[in-house]
Amino acid sequence: MEKIKEIFNTVLTNRGKQEVSDITEISSLRNDIGFDSLDLAELTVRIEAEYDVDIFEDGIVNTVGEILQKLEEK
Amino acid sequence: MSIFYADISKDQLVNWDDLLVELKRTERFSQYCQEVDFYIVFKQIILSLLLKREIVLLDADFSNDEINRLLDKPLSESSVIDVKDELSSIDSKEILLRRLQKTSKDWRITLFTSGTTGLPKRISHSFESITRFVKISDNHAADVWGFAYNPTHMAGIQVFFQALLNGNPLVRLFCLSKEQIFKSTSDYKITNISATPTFYRLLLPESSQHPSVKRLTSGGEKFDEKTINSLKQIFPNAKITNVYASTEAGTLLASSGNDFFIKPEFKDLIKIEDNELIIHQSLMGDFDSVSGDWYRTGDMVEIVSQKPVSFRFLSRKNEMINVGGYKVNPHEVEDAIREIDGVSDVRVYAKSNSVLGNIIYSEIVKNDIHLDESSIRTQLQTKLQEFKIPRLIKFVEMISTTRTGKIKRN
Repeated sequence: MEKIKEIFNTVLTNRGKQEVSDITEISSLRNDIGFDSLDLAELTVRIEAEYDVDIFEDGIVNTVGEILQKLEEK
Repeated sequence: MSIFYADISKDQLVNWDDLLVELKRTERFSQYCQEVDFYIVFKQIILSLLLKREIVLLDADFSNDEINRLLDKPLSESSVIDVKDELSSIDSKEILLRRLQKTSKDWRITLFTSGTTGLPKRISHSFESITRFVKISDNHAADVWGFAYNPTHMAGIQVFFQALLNGNPLVRLFCLSKEQIFKSTSDYKITNISATPTFYRLLLPESSQHPSVKRLTSGGEKFDEKTINSLKQIFPNAKITNVYASTEAGTLLASSGNDFFIKPEFKDLIKIEDNELIIHQSLMGDFDSVSGDWYRTGDMVEIVSQKPVSFRFLSRKNEMINVGGYKVNPHEVEDAIREIDGVSDVRVYAKSNSVLGNIIYSEIVKNDIHLDESSIRTQLQTKLQEFKIPRLIKFVEMISTTRTGKIKRN
């Protein structure tokens, strides 16, 4: 979870957005973290570079828990 | 339905009567329109039509720098004309629609498209060319449009005119969350949506169903089968069509999947040469790159069948990068990066991406060790629109080139 948060914050800082301090499995990527589609595009690339998984390959994931699930399924 | 425009993200609801009151009360008009509020953009276009004045649409996120370069002067120096009492006779929606259909031949709408050599290009259309594919009939009287494009871009303008001239409500979907999009669709019983494949991809997966939607149109990028099949589940009554449109030529072709057909009425005006789609100048807006009678679109196609001719889009001949339906010119981005102190060389290229189709990458050779990614980003934010700014920046010793010495684009 810490690594995911670090990646989130890299993406957020890149766009001049506020970093997040707490994330939980039910945090919504759009509503709680504040990602738009450009951010999600960057997020998928950064997660793929780290974990070798394209989290959006089968459609959009909406929450942190869904990302973790995709990474576990690897 | 008496709604003209609705946006649930802002609790905004404008009826045709509200619009009429505002039009009649208008005292001043400026031909340059740079607005965040979609309703104001639409109202300004209607005003320009009624006043028979040209309108120039500028993206809300163009920086001052970009505007100064595009217009050769700051926006604040543009002239504003006095139009008090000129529109006092427009008393009903019917009168308004009749007046709009008789728009003068001299009226022009101007927008900017990403050019191939740096700055966005200025493109002007007449009323006739921008509304060539608008269908006005009783069949469309009850349509409710989901508005899923940027209102200052070609595709958005075309949806706007289709809805406006039929007197249909426009419901904003562009840049809303998935929940807001589905809520708007069911609250306003949207019947038609035109959007990029990226817009539709971002709606998936979804378990709710929206039977009010009769037609989904897509364009600007290749549409994949998986997305089409998922959309059929969500919108069980919708016919799905794919449209070819460019800022230069407007909407010219439509298809039911990825195969396009040349309509009989255009068979002598659209041709394919060396796998490139070529369009006769009579189908174009006013555009500085039309030399002679034919315009080379730069869209590379593969012929699927000969009689009748059908084809599929393969790629762009030039190097434009399509980021979620927005065209990015890598040269423009490279020029902006090169202007930054401490940068000695740069390469901008695309990588395919499951969210946006493509995403912009950049390799930079720096000659100042203190230059970092965040200061480059901060400087680019004053020069370029957000979607043009590279999402991944790598510092390298040398820029990769192709065998012919050109910068690699992928």
